[in-house]
Amino acid sequence: MLSPADWVIWFLATLFEASVVVCSLHRRAFRRYFFLNLYMLFSALVSLGQFRVLIHYGYSSLEYRYFYFYSQALLVISLYFALISLYSLVFHELKVERYVRLGAVLLLAGTALFSYATVNQSSSRMVTHFAFELSQNLYFVGLVLTYVLWGAILKLRETRALLVQVVLSLGVYFSAHAATYAISNLRPDLFFRMGYLLPVIGCLLPLAWAYAIWRVPEEARIEPARLAVAHR
Amino acid sequence: MSRKLTVVLFAMLVLTGAMGLKAVVTAHGNGTAALSANGVPIPPPF
Repeated sequence: MLSPADWVIWFLATLFEASVVVCSLHRRAFRRYFFLNLYMLFSALVSLGQFRVLIHYGYSSLEYRYFYFYSQALLVISLYFALISLYSLVFHELKVERYVRLGAVLLLAGTALFSYATVNQSSSRMVTHFAFELSQNLYFVGLVLTYVLWGAILKLRETRALLVQVVLSLGVYFSAHAATYAISNLRPDLFFRMGYLLPVIGCLLPLAWAYAIWRVPEEARIEPARLAVAHR
Repeated sequence: MSRKLTVVLFAMLVLTGAMGLKAVVTAHGNGTAALSANGVPIPPPF
């Protein structure tokens, strides 16, 4: 059974996701950040779908669980492509989009193969386990890719403030997920006490993106190197 | 050609790093914890 806090967090998350798309349309940044917006739009639609399944079948039903795990896998894949689109934006001037696409496809295929090899032994619900394993593995791939992208931003002296904020918020999102995942494995008893943490983290990413797109003008510049280097 | 090989090497390095990180994180657990991408309540396990 869901508590009122669960419903509020869920409602806010869906609202923030929709607001990212609305802010992008309003600031005419929808096409520039197309995959980011696509992820947010898809995420909001999935939320509505999950709400419908939950109301119809119930929280503990198999239908809700299947819908949840499959939709999460699709969401993480779309988040992966959103992250790759940020790579394309950062490396745009180097004219290496072709290689970014090649690397993205190779990495996704490698992750899928690794996930398949992990669940290959399980006989029951193999497709569900594969979707679950793939989404988990893609989270960690996304975490590493985000840190590599941040390194590239520092190295290339990328100054677009909006891009920097989007990448940084993505880094916080993936890091928080990895930390929560570590706690849930180290101390499952502790994890159940902070059950709201993961949904709240899921809420904060669209909020950060919506704020960045709404408040930071496209022409705004920042020096990320100053954030990383401590001057004495 | 060397650029393509660099891309392949990069993809392999990222995959190895990510799976290594996951192995470290799940070293003391069974790796069955679910993640939530979009603020939706996580259902009970199967």
